[in-house]
Amino acid sequence: MTDQPLLPQSLPRPHKKQGLPVELPALPMTVIGWQGIRCVLPPEWNLTSFSMERENGYIRADAPGDTALTVQIRWQDASDTERKIGTLYDVFAPKVRKLFNRPAPEQKPPDLRRLLDKVLKDAAKSAKKAGAGFESSTRPEKLEGDDLERTAIPFSWLGGGRGQGKIWHCTKCNRVVVAQVIGIARDGGQVQSVAAGLFATLRDHSADTLDLWALYDLQVKVPVTFRLHQQQVMSGHLRLVFLRGGEMIVIDRWGLASMTLKKFKLEEWLAANVTVKLKSMEQAKVILQSGHEAKVFSGRLSLTDRLKVFRSARGLARPLAVRFEGGVWLCENENRIYTVQALTSRKTTDLWKLVADTVMCCQ
Amino acid sequence: MPANEFGRKLKYAAGKYLPFLKIAPPVADRKLVMNLRPLHNSQLTWEKGANGDVVLVVPANKNVGPVTRAIAKWAQAPSERKVELDEVGTFVWELCDGTNTVESIVQQTGRHYHMNRREAEVSVTLFLEMLHDRHFIAFFKKTRKVG
Repeated sequence: MTDQPLLPQSLPRPHKKQGLPVELPALPMTVIGWQGIRCVLPPEWNLTSFSMERENGYIRADAPGDTALTVQIRWQDASDTERKIGTLYDVFAPKVRKLFNRPAPEQKPPDLRRLLDKVLKDAAKSAKKAGAGFESSTRPEKLEGDDLERTAIPFSWLGGGRGQGKIWHCTKCNRVVVAQVIGIARDGGQVQSVAAGLFATLRDHSADTLDLWALYDLQVKVPVTFRLHQQQVMSGHLRLVFLRGGEMIVIDRWGLASMTLKKFKLEEWLAANVTVKLKSMEQAKVILQSGHEAKVFSGRLSLTDRLKVFRSARGLARPLAVRFEGGVWLCENENRIYTVQALTSRKTTDLWKLVADTVMCCQ
Repeated sequence: MPANEFGRKLKYAAGKYLPFLKIAPPVADRKLVMNLRPLHNSQLTWEKGANGDVVLVVPANKNVGPVTRAIAKWAQAPSERKVELDEVGTFVWELCDGTNTVESIVQQTGRHYHMNRREAEVSVTLFLEMLHDRHFIAFFKKTRKVG
């Protein structure tokens, strides 16, 4: 059986025919973390669509089974919502500012009402296509968040389907986020309960310097300064690659570990799947916070490996990666193999341990 | 391949590359698919290898024309071929006895190999589809008795 891209799925149901109460183990809630956005959804929900961009992007998570419930979260940089491209200055000034690390001039807060109207207009258009009437309601603006950093407008609509959502601007991360739970018209109660859970847990930026990346039971934290470069989501293999200039973090998770380990040792598996050659690297054993023992390889990158990393580097490829640290461990409870690789510059230390310690397994 | 099957494949291929024709294969009802029961092809025999994995013995297709038969005889083509399944494949194959639905096979595989529900569903359904395409299994739907 080969790795295959993941598709929507369904929740196993207790057998109704037997007439006896069937006790299922309590399923864990689904944690989703992507590009700084994180939320908790009911058990067995899954991320079904996502974008790679951090500044402007979206994620979508679907309910299991045949229900039409879905959660959509869109975000964009608040400065993008008001940007007008009129002159060459408008085009080049932000780029020059970014290049020289100059602060952007103070901007007015985004017009949330105008942005919300756009969202509702799109929903109305879909309702019209489906030949249904459309009605929407919005509530007054309110301040939210631990430090009242969010200005939010809750809204709901009915037409073709049913949606309950919220649009807000966060002054801390300067993002405008539109999150909504969408279902079919008769799913009113379900939409409401999912929305309540979603909005209670939805965060648009991390409280510390680490972003949570969570999908398909993988949960790991990566420094905010790293950007997602590549992803691979297969049924037996998940891979996330992050870059910061020339520095790189690669996180892999493989399923069916028991089968893999019949043919390979953990070190062999790591050697076959890392981006660099491990021959001349130092070996060590490290106990992670999760209690697993990881086999770690570290050392200087060879010239060919440096060139390889340089080619995939972002922008000016600074800081250059010169060191490698990579480890592999087995989680027997989950029957999964995890590997984390960190290709770092001279100045960056302990990045591997920082990331590997945040990988959550055996939940 | 029967002529009508070839025609259908041709039609869908045309629809794929010429989207304005709006011809697409019918979308299977998920609920219906999950309630189907896979069953081994009775023409096949299977045995367990030394490592416990199933080896399918597939007889050569006898429903061929005289020319193909003559070429096969001349080339001394084997009268059967063997297909070896891996560990998960063996597990799924043994469950395809007509008593388990696709849904129950997905659940049992997920539980046995500690796979996420989605991982199990994607792997198992694609594996079953592959077995079906090669005529190793057939699906049937259990119907209620009338009267």
